[in-house]
Parts: sequence; C-alpha cells; structure tokens
Amino acid sequence: MKAFRSYLSIIFCSPQLLFACALIIFIAAPFMTGAQQQMVSFAIISIALAQSLNILAGMTGQISLAHGAFMGIAAFTSVILVKKLGISPLLSIPSGAVLSGLIAWLLSFPAARVKEFYLAMMSVGFGMIFSEVVREWESLTGGVMGITGVPSAQLGTFIVFGWVVSTTDYMRALVVFALVMMFTLDRFVRSRWGRALFALHVSELAARSIGIRSGQIKRQAYFLSGALAGVAGALYAHLVSYIGPESFEIHRSIEILVMSVVGGLGSLAGQVLGGIVLTFLPLQLEAFADYKFIVYGVVLTLIFVVMPSGLAGVLLDPPRFIANRFRAQANNVSEKPAERKRIVGEEILRWENLRRDFAGLTAVTNFNFSLRGGEVVGLIGPNGSGKSTTINVVTGVYPPSAGRVFLKGQDISALPIEYIASLGMVRTFQDPRLVGRFTVLENVMLGAHLHQKYGWTEALSGLGRVTVDERSALDRAEAALSLINMTEFRDSVVDSLPYGYRRLVELARALAVDPDVILLDEPGAGLSEAEIGRLKQVVRHLASKGVAVLIVDHHMDLLAQLVDYVVVLDSGEEIFRGSMNDMRSDPLVAECYLGKLDSNATKAEGAHA
Amino acid sequence: MTHQFNRRKVIQRIAGLGAATVFGLHLNFAFGQTGAGPIKVGMTGALTGPYSEYGEAVKNALDLAIEQWNAKGGINGRKIELTTVLDDQLIPDRAAQNMRRLLDDKSLAVIMGPGGSGPSLAVADMVAADGRTFINPFSQNPTPTYPNGLDKPPRTNMFQFGILSNVEAAFLGNYLGKTYKKIGLAHESTGYGVAGKDTLLNIINKSFPDRKFEIESYAQRATDVTPQLLRLQRAEVDAIVVVGLGADLVNIRRTMRRIGMQQPLIASAGGVSVAYMEGAGDAAVGTIAPLVPALVESNPRPEVTAFVNSYKAKYGPDRQWGPDKNRPFAGMSLIVIPPYDGANIIFEGIRRANSTEPAKVTAAIENMKGYAGVNTVYSFSRQRHHGIDSENLTMLQAVKREDKVVWEVLKN
Amino acid sequence: MNFAATLLVAGLSVGSIYAMIAITLNLTYWTTRTVNFGQGSILMLSAMGTIFLARVGLPLGFAVLVAVGVAAVVMILIERIAIRPAMGESGSMGWAVSTLGVGILLQGLVARYFGSQAVAFPEVLMSSDLYLTVGGIRIGAQYLLVFTFSIITIAAMEAFLRLTVWGRAVRAVAQDRELAGVMGMPVLGIILTSFAVSGALAGVAGVLTAQIIGTVDPAFGFNLLMSGFVAAILGGFGSNIGALVGGLLIGVIEQFASGYVSTALGHGISMVILLLMLAFRPQGLFGIVEVEKA
Repeated sequence: MKAFRSYLSIIFCSPQLLFACALIIFIAAPFMTGAQQQMVSFAIISIALAQSLNILAGMTGQISLAHGAFMGIAAFTSVILVKKLGISPLLSIPSGAVLSGLIAWLLSFPAARVKEFYLAMMSVGFGMIFSEVVREWESLTGGVMGITGVPSAQLGTFIVFGWVVSTTDYMRALVVFALVMMFTLDRFVRSRWGRALFALHVSELAARSIGIRSGQIKRQAYFLSGALAGVAGALYAHLVSYIGPESFEIHRSIEILVMSVVGGLGSLAGQVLGGIVLTFLPLQLEAFADYKFIVYGVVLTLIFVVMPSGLAGVLLDPPRFIANRFRAQANNVSEKPAERKRIVGEEILRWENLRRDFAGLTAVTNFNFSLRGGEVVGLIGPNGSGKSTTINVVTGVYPPSAGRVFLKGQDISALPIEYIASLGMVRTFQDPRLVGRFTVLENVMLGAHLHQKYGWTEALSGLGRVTVDERSALDRAEAALSLINMTEFRDSVVDSLPYGYRRLVELARALAVDPDVILLDEPGAGLSEAEIGRLKQVVRHLASKGVAVLIVDHHMDLLAQLVDYVVVLDSGEEIFRGSMNDMRSDPLVAECYLGKLDSNATKAEGAHA
Repeated sequence: MTHQFNRRKVIQRIAGLGAATVFGLHLNFAFGQTGAGPIKVGMTGALTGPYSEYGEAVKNALDLAIEQWNAKGGINGRKIELTTVLDDQLIPDRAAQNMRRLLDDKSLAVIMGPGGSGPSLAVADMVAADGRTFINPFSQNPTPTYPNGLDKPPRTNMFQFGILSNVEAAFLGNYLGKTYKKIGLAHESTGYGVAGKDTLLNIINKSFPDRKFEIESYAQRATDVTPQLLRLQRAEVDAIVVVGLGADLVNIRRTMRRIGMQQPLIASAGGVSVAYMEGAGDAAVGTIAPLVPALVESNPRPEVTAFVNSYKAKYGPDRQWGPDKNRPFAGMSLIVIPPYDGANIIFEGIRRANSTEPAKVTAAIENMKGYAGVNTVYSFSRQRHHGIDSENLTMLQAVKREDKVVWEVLKN
Repeated sequence: MNFAATLLVAGLSVGSIYAMIAITLNLTYWTTRTVNFGQGSILMLSAMGTIFLARVGLPLGFAVLVAVGVAAVVMILIERIAIRPAMGESGSMGWAVSTLGVGILLQGLVARYFGSQAVAFPEVLMSSDLYLTVGGIRIGAQYLLVFTFSIITIAAMEAFLRLTVWGRAVRAVAQDRELAGVMGMPVLGIILTSFAVSGALAGVAGVLTAQIIGTVDPAFGFNLLMSGFVAAILGGFGSNIGALVGGLLIGVIEQFASGYVSTALGHGISMVILLLMLAFRPQGLFGIVEVEKA
C-alpha cells in the first residue's frame, strides 16, 4: 500500500508530470469535441473552486458555505463589465475577482468574532443576501431572468484584443491558468503564511503567542480565498454563456464543500482529485443525478469519521510544507543566527499590583514581581492558586483588572498577545498545541515566523526575500532542534511522536522565536526522566545566555535543580518568596498544601492512644 | 525502506498512457444522417429534482408519440429512436451543458428541448447557431423562438408548443379587462412570473387603459405571503390574479381565506396543477384559469379521445393523469399534450418533406394548415412557429361535481 | 389598523414557530454544544411523514403523533451517527458538516422514494377560513391556533426543564458534563433525551408550518432552519427566553418589512440581522458572554 501511495504521489504530485499532463491536453485540444472540451474546462474550474475553499476551510479551519456567492459576485461583475461597458475580459475577470476578494475580506471582520459553527450560518446568510440582491437589482443583473448571451467562446463572442477566442483556445487558456494556479498555491502552502494558517487552525492562541498576527492573516486568507473563487466564477460565466441567480446559490456552495472534503481538506492534490472526481462522475453516470443528494449526504455525514483526510489521505503521501529547494542547506547547523546581546542581571519583566477578576472571582491579587535576565524563577502553588492566570494576564491573553506589566521597561499591560511576543516574551502551554500533520521541523519553523519578513505577494510569487528568509528560518529551527537533542526527528510527523517528545518540540518552537523572556507552563508534566533531563539542559542554556525564565510546575525536584528562588501563590495571593529550602520549612506554605491541622483530629487520636 | 522509482521510466509510462487516452478521445466518429437507418431524437428535461413532473410529462409524451408512429411503420419506413435522454432538473446551467452534448452528437435529427423559461433561454442561442429542428415543449416565454419580438419572424429551426405568455396574456388580459376595474396581480419572483406579469400588464394597458393594478411578488416556496395579500386587500382590488406555479397557489388560497378575502382568484395556466387541487381541496372551488378546453369539453374531438385512451392504456392513471381515475386532469394540456402534439407535428413535417434536413422540415411544417392535434387544430406559417393562439383558449372554472373538484368551462 | 394588526398576528404566528425551532437548537446545544445543521430536514420528515401516513389510512391526528415520534427517533440516530463520532474532530467543523450531510441525505432519500413534488398538506387543525373578531379586527383562527400551540409547547418545555428531575439533569449536563457524569448522572441518557425532545419539537414545528403553507416538498425546512437560527442568535444561543423573544421578533419584523417596504427586504432582513448580531453582539439579547480558560 505504501508503495502504491508513493507511486501515485510521484505521478500526481511531481511538477514535471503536472506540466506533461497539461501539455498533452494542450496538444490534444483541437481533436476534442465541444462537449469534451467543456468537460475539461469544467474540471479545471471545479479544481479552482475547491482550492479556494481549501484555503479557508482546509488550511485556516473556517467553514464557508458562501463560496457560491463569491463565484457569483465576480461572474456578474465580469459579465456586466464586458457586456454593458465593452471592457476587455482580460480586465473584467481580474476586476471581478478582486471584488469577490474584497467582499470576502469584509466578511472576515464579523467572522473573527464568532464561534466556528456560527461561521457556517453566517456564510449561508451572506449567500442568501447575495441571492436576494441579484434577484432584485434587475437593471444590473437581469433580475430573476439572469443574463443570456454572455460573451463566450462557444457563441464566438469572447473577444480579446480583436482576437475571437474559440472553445479550443479557451480551454487551453484554462489549462495554462490551472498550471499557474497550482504552482502558485504550492509555493504559498510552503511559505510562512501557508504554515501560519495551519497553526491558526490548530490553536489561535498558541499561534498568537509566537507572534503570528491572527486577525491580519485571517483577513488575508479570506481575500485570497474569495478572489480565487471569483476567478473561477468569472471563467465559468464566460464558459456557459448564461448566468442567473440560481447559478450561485447554496447548492453550489455545498457542491464545492463536497469536492473539497472528498478530495481532502488541507491538501492541494486532494482538491485536484476532488474537483476531477466530482466533475466527471455526474457527467458520466446519468443515474448519478437520481442519487446525487443521497451520495452527497452520505459523503458529508461520514467523511470526517471514515476518511477525514479525504481521497488524498488514502491515495497519496501527506503533503509537506517546506519548499525542497531551501532544504538543501538545511543540514548545515554550524551557522547559528547571530546572537543578540543580553545583559545578565538586567531587569526584563516586571509587574506591579497585578490583579485579575472573573465575574466575582478574584483569581490573582496584589501580585508584585520582577524578573532579571539569566534568572530562573519557579512559580508554584496548589491548583486554582492563580498561576496560569498570572501567565495569561502577563502574556496578554486577558488584560489585568488592576496593576501593570512591564517588558524591558515598556508598559505592555493591555497589549495584544502577538505584539507582546514580538517584543520578546513567549510562553508554552500545558498541552502542546502543535500542528499535528506537520513534521517536527515544520512546527519549529513556525517559531521563526516573527523573524521572517516577506509578505503575501512574495509568498505567492516566490520572488524577493523568500529564499533568504526561509533559509535563515531553517537555520534557526535546526539550532533549536539541536538544543533539545531531537535533530534526527526533524522529519517525523508530530502526531506520530509520544507525548513527551511533543512537549519538547513545543519548547523548541518557543526557542526558535529567540525570546528574552520565556514562561513555561508545567513543562515537566508527562515527561520521562530522559526528557526531563533535556528540559533541564535547555533551561540552563537559556539562563546562561541571559534569557529570563519563569517556570510554573509541580515537580519540586525539577525546580530545586533549576531555580534561583520560588514564589508561592495561594488563592491568588503571594504567600512566600525565597529559596526552595526555606520554602519547605515555611509553615504558611505547608498549611496551604497540606491543610490546617484539625485540632479535633489530634484530640481524637490522643483519645485512642 | 524507500521506494526509489526511476522518474524517467514513470514519465515515459505516463506519456504512453496519455497518448493512448488522446487517441481514445479521438475515437469519436459522428455518423451523419445518411437518409437510411433510424431517425434519432434527443431530449433534455427535468427528470429528477423538485420539478420532475415536468420532465416526466415530456418524456411520457415523446415515448407515446414515437411508439405510435413506429407502430404504423415509422416515418416513410424509417423507425424513430429516442437515443439520448438527459436530465437537467430545470436548472438553466445544466440544460445548457446537456444541450452542448446533444448538439455535439451529429447523428440526432430532432432535439426536444428543455422545459421552463430559464433553461429555454439558456439554450436558445446555441440551438439557433446549430440549426437542427428543435421542439420547445411547454415553456411560455416566447423569446427563444421569437428573439426579435413577436412581430418579427421566428428562428427557422425552432417550434414552440406551450401556451406562450403573450398568447395567454392576450386572452387573459382581455377577460380581466372586460370583467374587472381594479386588478390585484401577484407573481412569483422567477422568469416565468416576471415575464407573465409584464406581458399581462402590457396587454391590459393597451386595450383597457383605465384599469388599475396592484402588483405584488412572492418567492417560490415562501413560508408566508400574508403581507402581499394584505396589501392587495387593503387596496380593495376586484380580483386576484396569480402568475405562478400551483404549489404556491395553495398557500395563497389559504392565506386569502385566513384574512377573509372574498375576491375571485384567477390563476395563470401554470397554476393549474395537481399540487394545487390536492392542497387547496374544496377551497379550490371557484378558481378561474385560462386553458385549452380540449380535455374538459363535453363533446371532445376524436384526436382527444384517442390520446386520452392511449395515454391511459400505456401509463395508467399516473401522476400526470391526476387523482380522478376516470377523467384526465385538465392540466395535462399544459405539459403533456404540447410535447405530444409537437413531436407528432415534427414527425409529420419530416414525413411530408421526406427528409430530416432542417430547412425542408421547416418548410413542410410552415405549410401545414388545419392539422388536427390534441390540444387544438394547428396551422403554421413563416411568421408563426407556435401552436396555440388566443382563439384556442377558454376560461375554465373549478367546480364541485359529485364530491370532486373538477374543471369546467366557465359559464358567463 | 386592520393591516398592521393582521401583520402582527401573522408575524407572531410564524415567529412562534421560529421560536420553537430555536429551542430545538438550544436543546442539543446545551447537552453537547452542537447544533443540527440538518434540522430543516427533520421538520420536513415529520410533515411528509404525516402526509404519507394519512394516505395509507391512519387517522390524521394519529399520523401526526407517529410522524413526530419518527422525528424524535431520527434525531437520536443523528446523535449516534453524525454527532458523537465527529466530536473533537478539528473543532466544530466535523459535526457541522456531518449534520449538514444528514440533512441532505434525508432530503435525497425522501425525494428518491416519494418524489420531489410539492405535496398537499391537509388542514389538520381547522379550516383556513375560520376567524375571530377582536375589537373590530379580524384574526384568522389558524394563525391563532398555531401561535397558541407553539406557546403552550414552549411553556411545557420550560416547565419540564425547571421543575422536573430530568429537566434539572439536562441543565446540569449543560453546565458541566464531566462533573455531572462523575456525580453519577446518566449523561448519555440525558443527551439522548435532549436529542429526542429536540427532534419531537422540530417535528411539531414542521407540521405547524406545513399547515400554514399548505404544501410540503423535500427541500422544505432549510429556510426555516435559517430563520430559527437567526432567532436563536438574536435572543442568545442557549437561552429559552431568548429563543422565544428572538423568534417572535424576527417573525414580526419580517412581516412588517414585507408589508411596509417590500417583499425583498422581508426575505433579506433576517439575514441582515444575523450578520449584524454576529458582528456586534454575538451573545444576543439574553445570552451570556463565555470566557474560556486559556
């Protein structure tokens, strides 16, 4: 089976073969009948639609049933521009796409504020509004009658620079478009932005805590997704020569969803598979129409249970997210990125009178603290004492109810998480929030996201700083990996690793950010002896480099070997600060952990003695 | 263990496969019409989906007509074959794609087009460009056949057999203008509804310019139409005319009763459907609609009786026939009989021309006068490619006879 | 005056159905934090089921009861097939897509085996031309009946939740499922009950709606689900008072928008309200803002 999959993957996923296929179709074009050309054209458009949905649903985890509407916006725009204003399709198609992208971008704002399943309803609602607008705005869209005689190749009315485009030419143009799209998307998926989208999907909080600006990225993903759906929509309109309100309603969005999901969310090759299968199957099997709803229904009901990674998951090797050409130098670890000068002993992090309330419950109060570079401090206390809350407030997850937080002298009290991360403070979580399908290396590279500078256009085109940034990020990632001693695991998929290893990978990801302060939330939990050993090595190394480290944990032995001193919290208040030895003999601490000695109990014991 | 596949070999194999595929695709020879062999017919229609009754009507009609011709030896000795039947669910895009496939098949001599205004409009241009003989089974929008307006000549290869909206509007408009002063018009927000409403308004305004209108629209399958009807009630209209399909007519009828509207309800031909009769039940009594009287006349013509008997013999009292086992539902004149008459007329045209060449067939049909079909007696000409005119229509009314609600000719 | 009054009556009547649908969504949301995207098909199933059973000879009232029962059973199946296996699978997308799939599947099955046509739904409760006159204003009895029926059902649900042991158990599971389980409550049984009640209620809503429209077809229900969803969001997801207020508000707003401005606005306005609520106040009128522990 594995051999079969590798074989298929070579066929399907190698760029040379993709090119060859395209060439064959290109050459065969004039010998194909009109219907065959139309079928191929539909297939390409379907693939584009599936890819567009994949960007949002597969990569970013934003379910959308509005892609029919995004198709429609661009379709109507292009048709109206060409038919009524005589503008060239070369201009009208991109214009339509940009409009679709912009409207999708607008939708991203409310989308950012709501729970996942609300997104589905929101997208349906938007689709309905679009449909209503198309039906009412008769003067523009032809109302319920739609627009016939759309300039198209099959009517001989699709004209570019005076050249009448035939159906053969149109199909060829679509083949070229498909090639360009696939190469561009592949580049995108293997860029920092593609990887960041996957990270967002897994945990927005974790992504933000390593500096990924989730709001901005989501909006751009919406734009890209909407624009690509728009291109497909405009190309569709000029193919079928008739569009009406029914062309772009919920059933269209559902079809796109089925294609995307059947092919395999999160996989580019999967979208191709899904698009092809769901174009040819209905056209070849007349009986299919009868059972279409039943088939779609069964597919959607069971896909996440039976085949969550779709056809791509079954037939192909999993996709990878680093461009191969950058990896050539990846094994060269001797070049570590330039180290920043840190002054040991200088105050890096401080908070004053910190307080956080939650609807009547005070989780933390009256907390004052200062952390210097090179220090390792333990923050301990029983469950519910406010340790995690402190970390959350300090790193920006919630604002403090009172008091202030300073990082390197700057007041960061109510700043966003990703901004704080960019200033040099990073934290880890109690559960490792890694991207399961990524390899160790791909996950750790996410930590270097902050240090890469190239934008979306460069990610899509592959020009500019991409090469430099990717290579240096790889170097950073390798350096972090060698710190945790997991270099030989760099290509292991994280989901296949044991829990302890995953926690270390998360630590490496934080290291790749190269922070000045690092807050570790229960780093020792679930680690084996050997793994704890690596953890200790890392902490000591960090301290020696002047990084300030705060550890929340329950492993007293671990802490004893690492920390300079501890702070003990109980019910949100600090009850002790000092060395671990002194802590052990402090009566207040003992009481909070063990409880007050019950005077009645001692009497009872005495009575039985 | 890694699988080292020699890339070059793989690429070679694929190239080979690719070439074979191209060659295979190329094996698509079109067998032209050779003047011998069967006469091939292709159709697209709503075979499945929410409108499957319409596609089924066309297919039943076509099958019956072909069977009857073949029983008499075919057309000049050549049998007729329905070789390709495609499903478009009354979706315009789908109809266009199907039509593309049908037109690519050069062996087809006659094409039975899709039903519904949307699909008809969607395929009109490509059919005209192709030129083969084309039957538009029951759609009411005249634009596909008369793209430049009704006073200009129609497309030479296209013939339409439903009740055109302008024909219905002329007849209905005349009746309404004569009978009522203030008319409430509710139409569904689809191509059918909007076109119907527009043509009706034009006709009435031309012949009865002082009539007043209140116009409302509703979405197909809307949950509630109370606001629209309330507005019509408030406007104190003399009658309610509805241009829409039968299922929604039920909702309208019930709402009228809920809010106490006593005005007469007049349906467009499209509203006369089994769904309406069953859904409205006794409340349907009193509804008026324009229709071909063929199936409700007390002394039916022999062609009508022959059709009724042969339909019942072949299909039994099916969904198209309607709930009354003894009497066919009047609505058959709308979606079953037009394609039946249409097929017969085209086949007759081929017979008279002794050829399937579109120009000759068209000439033969245009020369037909007084051809006795089921819905009516047909005459065609260079200017006229549609079957039914205003003089072929009558106003019918739903009445109660022996505990059943049936349609009868409206008595003045 | 009559105009506005009738719009109000119609709006309250349809709105009460929206409220009922919103409550069916709440029920599954409480116990499993999920929502059935195929709920529209449950409404359709019970309406179609009633018609089918009546045709084969069952007395109408009985047919309704059986059809509603079937709806409840199907909901339980949905929990088993579409919800439970998809939980924890990439956030909420798993169950959202699977329940959507079930809805489509039901639609396809009904269309395949019973046809896709709109079929007539008989007047179960009373004829459409009966009416009352209140203060000189005519009020259609069917509207009144639907409204009353819905309110009684909703009130009964509230009573059930607040006063019975099972009701309180449902609320306990809603608060903290793990704790409830640890305390010895039959969590699975409670979840299944909530689904069954949700299905039954949806079945009733389906029958009532079919009563108003007059015909049912396999695609019936999706628009209703959307309206019910908007009602739930407007009122605040998880709150029954919110569902009631939200539903009635949406019903009335739609009617008045249609009546005084245009039908197009009437169709679109609930969706606009949806987008606005999600953009500015996702917790609705009566909902609580949830703070998640990071």
